[in-house]
Amino acid sequence: MEQYLEFTGIGKAYPGVQALRDISFRCDGGEVLALLGENGAGKSTLLKILSGDTRPDEGGIIIDGRPQQFSAPYDAIKAGVSVIYQERQLVPAMSVMENIFLGEQPKTSLGTIDKKALRQSTQDIIDKFGLPIRPDELAGRLSVAYQQMVEIMKAYRRNSKIIAFDEPTAPLADAEIAILFDLIRRLKEEGRIVLYVSHRLSEIFRITDKIAVLKDGRFVKYLTTSRTNEQELIQAMVGRDIGDTYANLRRNDKLGDVLLEVCNLETEYLRDVSFTLRRGEVLGLAGLVGAGRTEVARAIFGADAILGGEIRFEGEAIDFSEPKDAIEAGIALCPEDRKDQGLVLWRSIRENITMPVLGRIRKGLFLDRAAEEHLAEEAIAKYAIRTPSINKIVRELSGGNQQKVILGRWTNSKMTTKLLILDEPTKGIDVGTKAEVYQMICDFAGEGFGVIFISSELTEVINVSDRIIVMRNGRVTGDVTRREATEESVLALAMTD
Amino acid sequence: MGNDRSLRRVIKSKNTVLIAILAAVVLMFYLLNSNYLSGDNLRGVMQSMSITGIMAVGAACLLIGGGIDLATSMEALFGGVLCGLLIKAGIPWPLSVLLTLAAGGLIGGAVAYLVAHLGMMPFIASIALSNVIRGVNLVMTNAQNVPVPTEGFWVLGSSNVLNIIPTPFVIMLILLVIYGLVLHKTQFGRNIYLIGGNQFAARLSGLSPKKIRTILYVNNGVLAAFSGIVVASRMHSASPSSLSDSQMDAITAAILGGVSFMGGSGGMGGCLIGILLLNFFNNGLNVLSLESHWQTIAQGALLIAALTMDYFNEKSREKSLKAGAALKQ
Ligand SMILES: Nc1ncnc2c1ncn2[C@@H]1O[C@H](COP(=O)(O)OP(=O)(O)OP(=O)(O)O)[C@@H](O)[C@H]1O
Ligand SMILES: [Mg+2]
Repeated sequence: MEQYLEFTGIGKAYPGVQALRDISFRCDGGEVLALLGENGAGKSTLLKILSGDTRPDEGGIIIDGRPQQFSAPYDAIKAGVSVIYQERQLVPAMSVMENIFLGEQPKTSLGTIDKKALRQSTQDIIDKFGLPIRPDELAGRLSVAYQQMVEIMKAYRRNSKIIAFDEPTAPLADAEIAILFDLIRRLKEEGRIVLYVSHRLSEIFRITDKIAVLKDGRFVKYLTTSRTNEQELIQAMVGRDIGDTYANLRRNDKLGDVLLEVCNLETEYLRDVSFTLRRGEVLGLAGLVGAGRTEVARAIFGADAILGGEIRFEGEAIDFSEPKDAIEAGIALCPEDRKDQGLVLWRSIRENITMPVLGRIRKGLFLDRAAEEHLAEEAIAKYAIRTPSINKIVRELSGGNQQKVILGRWTNSKMTTKLLILDEPTKGIDVGTKAEVYQMICDFAGEGFGVIFISSELTEVINVSDRIIVMRNGRVTGDVTRREATEESVLALAMTD
Repeated sequence: MGNDRSLRRVIKSKNTVLIAILAAVVLMFYLLNSNYLSGDNLRGVMQSMSITGIMAVGAACLLIGGGIDLATSMEALFGGVLCGLLIKAGIPWPLSVLLTLAAGGLIGGAVAYLVAHLGMMPFIASIALSNVIRGVNLVMTNAQNVPVPTEGFWVLGSSNVLNIIPTPFVIMLILLVIYGLVLHKTQFGRNIYLIGGNQFAARLSGLSPKKIRTILYVNNGVLAAFSGIVVASRMHSASPSSLSDSQMDAITAAILGGVSFMGGSGGMGGCLIGILLLNFFNNGLNVLSLESHWQTIAQGALLIAALTMDYFNEKSREKSLKAGAALKQ
């Protein structure tokens, strides 16, 4: 029988936003369909409806001609749907095999779990995918990439015919993305339906067959990947042509004296890290996930203890015991992990944006509410945060808009930052806003300040930074200028010991 | 902004539900016994609620900041006993009160040290400390009540404002207003919400979760000791062991009033409603002269109800927001 998935007239409202409006399209077996759209366009909401996590106000889902009613994730799983969210859903304290067979572990005749059968079945699946994972390993011990592979295997084991990925590559390095794409191709060859959400256009062209574009909760375009190009996609998504992002960047080329000097830095994770950053410079930190880039940022910021070496900022040796001191000295760190390190999810956009500058917006004993609201409005305008109000709880924003709130916090106009450290600042942000972020980085450097720009997206670090430090296993393995750098050369430095 | 209003409405509507429940409880007990709303009984409720109320203010701030102190009522007893002994030893009563408040702060600081600096689990650390304090109370007093015959001292607990409203009740109201202002209008108050919401993010934003939480524990200890002093002043004597079955009252009141067990949300308005609800409920059971064991069961049930409400509250915030927006349209 023909395999297909169809959305018919899906509508969904949240307070103050119509997240989805009359969405109808179809996806066939053996196809990878990209869901594309700006932050807040409604992609994740559509996947949540598909997974039974949220119920639509209107419309429905048809699988192989049969209308479906999902009132809970369990129903969707039974109907053959697996959605792999950006946040991992594995139980970290359980082994790989227990995770893969969660809830449906093979039983012995006595009713206990048949470990032997469990291990064997898991090994079979692992072999099929050709992965170096052991069935007994704890899921929490695996790298993010392999955790994701385990989730895919779980979907595979359930024999799901529809598998959806919500920004799966955001935490992955290039080599890991290659493994993921091999898996997706395999799923496709087996005739399954794959939905794929990502803000990285190059991936869309690498892996998908069809593209559905959403804008402001509406379905605006259905395209065949092989018969379209980036311009057309961006035009459909953003509604205007944004041109060549990197070529259009207004860069700063006036370098000043040395702002930051890191000499032989040692921490729990870092060995002998040295580099300098001058005023007006954008310094990229490249490397695979786990290379130690985040640790460099945290050491400078006073978030982790320094065990050896020296950091000099504006000519003076610094060793902050708390981030508070770093902020006072003029250093800002926009952290990588937005849920754990970045946001206070249950508080409003306004409260999240003013966090580091509360002391500067006081009026006598009390906080100056008007100044606070002004800062929040500024950030919303600067990064085009999609929200009905500055008082919306951050948890209810789309992923990309949450990321924009963190950016808004660390670049708000009450900050007196001289060194801005951005750790994966464009994670989950749409193409239009990415260009704004790059320009913000260059403008900031242009004012005579310094920027450290950490990113796992090679193209982006290479094209935005003036100079690129490459790291591997806690050490610096390369220091190249933008002119010298190519993706191949930087990747080679990131992989050699 | 249009949505501001709807948000405020939701917050109000949450308290509206609580007020409705409170009204229902009061009405029910009134129908069961018409004495329930007599002036004398009302003054009695005010008296007793101010004791838990003063403690609940400290407990609520602590909960919002992501901490908890299960030794609070033991700290209160300690406060009463210590103050009584100091007065008995001939120290002028105002000075005794101040010294006792300082001692309460020290005990709060001890909990903070175990929790915030040594990293112990707040439940375990504070229960352990609670036992220590109980022992200290009994040792200090030989397990006897400490009479406090100093008339000046009685003013805190036994006098009335305008000859009709019990002074402790007025003190409680003033505290609620002051702490409400601190929570909602000041930087320190905001910091409490932020560290309760996500202490890692707060630290990276330049806040000092340890320091703030330490202040909250100390504050909790001071207010607990103060409430114990008020009891002693009202009874004209300090007992080392009464009150102990209301171990959880302050926390129950805070959670009933919508202060989240998970930290990061709640406020003094809700806290007041929680205090009223808890005390009108307890008093209602008294007025019905229910056997005390049954009262204990009913109070336990109320705590479970409060925790359940908190659970649904966390989960259904999304829903209530939606309801708020729907109201607006
Ligand atoms: N639980 C919620 N409560 C209120 N509003 C919500 C909720 N979840 C999503 N929304 C709103 O619905 C809209 C669509 O969000 P959604 O997460 O689907 O966007 P998205 O396309 O996945 O964006 P991104 O690329 O940033 O991940 C947003 O405006 C968002 O604020
Ligand atoms: Mg999303």
